[in-house]
Amino acid sequence: MKKIWLIIKREYLTRVRKKTFIISTLLFPILYLGLIFGMGYIADQSKQNLRVAVIDYSGYFTEKNIAYQNSIDKNSTLVLVKDSATKIIADYAEAGYDGYILIPSLQWEAAKTDSLFFKANKSYGASATATVEAKLNRIWDDIKNEKLGIDSAKREILSNSRLSITPVNTKDEQANVKIAEGIAYVSGFLIYFILLIYGSQVMMGVMEEKTNRIAEVIVSSVKPFQMMLGKILGIGLVALTQFMLWIAFILIVYNVGKASGSGGMANALVGNMQHMFTSVNIPLILFCFGFYFLAGFFFYASLYGAIGSAVNEDMREAQSLSFPITMLVILSIALMSTAIANPTSQVAVWASIIPFSSPIVMMARIPFGVPATVPWWQLGLSMAMLILGFIFTVWFAGKIYRTGILMYGKKPSWKEMIRWAFRKN
Amino acid sequence: MALLELQNLKKYFATQKAVDDISLSVDKGQIFGLLGPNGAGKTTLIRMITGIFYPDEGQIIFDGKKFDPINDTAYIGYMPEERGLYKKMKIGEQTMYLAQLKGLSKKDALEKIKRWFIRFEMESWWNKKVEDLSKGMSQKLQFVTTVLHEPKLVILDEPFSGLDPVNSNLIKDEIFNLAQNGSTIIFSTHRMEQVEEICDHIVLVNKGKKILDGTVKNIKQEFKENLFSIGAEQLPAALNGTAPFEVVGTNDHSQIVRIKEGNNPNDVLQFLLHQGITIHSFNEILPSLNDIFIKLVEGTPTARQFQKL
Repeated sequence: MKKIWLIIKREYLTRVRKKTFIISTLLFPILYLGLIFGMGYIADQSKQNLRVAVIDYSGYFTEKNIAYQNSIDKNSTLVLVKDSATKIIADYAEAGYDGYILIPSLQWEAAKTDSLFFKANKSYGASATATVEAKLNRIWDDIKNEKLGIDSAKREILSNSRLSITPVNTKDEQANVKIAEGIAYVSGFLIYFILLIYGSQVMMGVMEEKTNRIAEVIVSSVKPFQMMLGKILGIGLVALTQFMLWIAFILIVYNVGKASGSGGMANALVGNMQHMFTSVNIPLILFCFGFYFLAGFFFYASLYGAIGSAVNEDMREAQSLSFPITMLVILSIALMSTAIANPTSQVAVWASIIPFSSPIVMMARIPFGVPATVPWWQLGLSMAMLILGFIFTVWFAGKIYRTGILMYGKKPSWKEMIRWAFRKN
Repeated sequence: MALLELQNLKKYFATQKAVDDISLSVDKGQIFGLLGPNGAGKTTLIRMITGIFYPDEGQIIFDGKKFDPINDTAYIGYMPEERGLYKKMKIGEQTMYLAQLKGLSKKDALEKIKRWFIRFEMESWWNKKVEDLSKGMSQKLQFVTTVLHEPKLVILDEPFSGLDPVNSNLIKDEIFNLAQNGSTIIFSTHRMEQVEEICDHIVLVNKGKKILDGTVKNIKQEFKENLFSIGAEQLPAALNGTAPFEVVGTNDHSQIVRIKEGNNPNDVLQFLLHQGITIHSFNEILPSLNDIFIKLVEGTPTARQFQKL
């Protein structure tokens, strides 16, 4: 036991003291936030504001109608063209328009959709034309309302009197689907990143020991199994440390935001978080997250470790052998999306119980509520299966590791590695 | 008294009998040479002694008791042929780590490391990384990590490869030192001149089997071919049939002769004196271990063949 502890300590300290650890711990939340805000910003920037000439042959459209909608909606501008229609059609670009729409004679009382064309000298995406189309329809609505004699008060009633539906689970009235979805995505993806990043760290660490031949020195002091376990536990602790730092980071942001009290965005953030804390069972989620993250890590890290022990210094060998394992992780993410869309579907339930996908999929279901969405028996079964699962993979990997770490030469196939595992001594 | 005794050890792999029924005994304080061509099974044998492999059959007796890999490895120091250290780890920390893995307490480890570092003039290395060291330097470091915990049994696999003569001598002296202080040393190599210089006792293995076992002196006696070198002014040009020897070669100022069956060196001297020849020197030529090695191993395929077991 003392020796495992020494190995854990070495694995942990050499990694935590590295500059890359500190940098990645600081950078990840910044990049993550940057990604979220950045995508919003890019989406904003990529919106196109078009200037569109509306050439009206129907006679319904008036300057007043169009100007009114232009004043409400600042996205693309529509300009009514009455007189110089042919000139505009020929020279719309020179007149400062991105394109034009020809409105033929329409029958406003016909309950049907008329197809019009937005003509321009280049291709526009669906989102650009959609804003033009929406605006045109609102103008058309205004025109029809006028024809039907519906005044602005009645119009207000017509457009703003609406019914909205929010799903409420009678077994769990507190649940908020939006927040649950958010938490589900975040925790699923975090576990996914951890499994892939730290799993491959285990693999690289084992490969380093093997190619440096330090393995031979160490296995003359400790058992190969202890060596592997020490490495997995040590790297697992590194991942855990990184998490703790992130959680601390979130709490600091939260408390600073609450203390400063002012500023629209900080307030909104704090408000959102308070709302989130009341709508989901945070202690349970944190506990489950810790469990699935650690157990899932043991499950996959031991397999990655086994691969690291079997290959030589060639990265390509490691990649080709670890491909099936990586595929399992990626498949789990695919299953996670299904589970978030419908957390009680058959696929979601079984994927959250079967060990290889349960760390990601179960974490995506839990925020929807325990026991309302995830009955206790499913959670219990899933945890038990995962524990059995990682005991098996650690045992299996230990057998491969013992043989592989001292074996040089040809890369073994999965078939050979399985044979090593089930050979006695 | 034997520190290590191997009894009928066997280890078969899928396609090879790596170690096929080897028995040997290593005395306390002995410098024991384990020789053999590449692929003879030396490394497998050593791995069983260091507890890395379990033998398929046979027994290992260590220090009078059945070998217990978990506890006894603390008394063994092993330096593998392919040196291994963490490249990115600081040398001081790394040495501490390896010493503690061998069961030393932090305090003990620090004290011993400091002593060795001073002895090998390595004090300034403490905060350097292994990747900053030259090959010879890392060899020295590896040697220190091997013997640091004062093991009863030190196993050195090709300890001199890559070392310059000065550092070679330094390590050689340390090996003698360790043996004098009661450590037993198993020294695995195929550099025969070093074996003659250092080892008391040798075992030669080939293709998983032991083919030679004895002290260096006895083995040389056993394989001698009754060759003598005679330094004389002039040997008779033609020897008649009565001469107790035959000339097999000539060196600058000496003749190499083989004594005929049933005669001894005195007969040769007597014969020469009788002929009135002045003798300057008369030496027995013993075969070198190198010759014996080649003689024994030659004729067997140099590479081991794969076989179905």
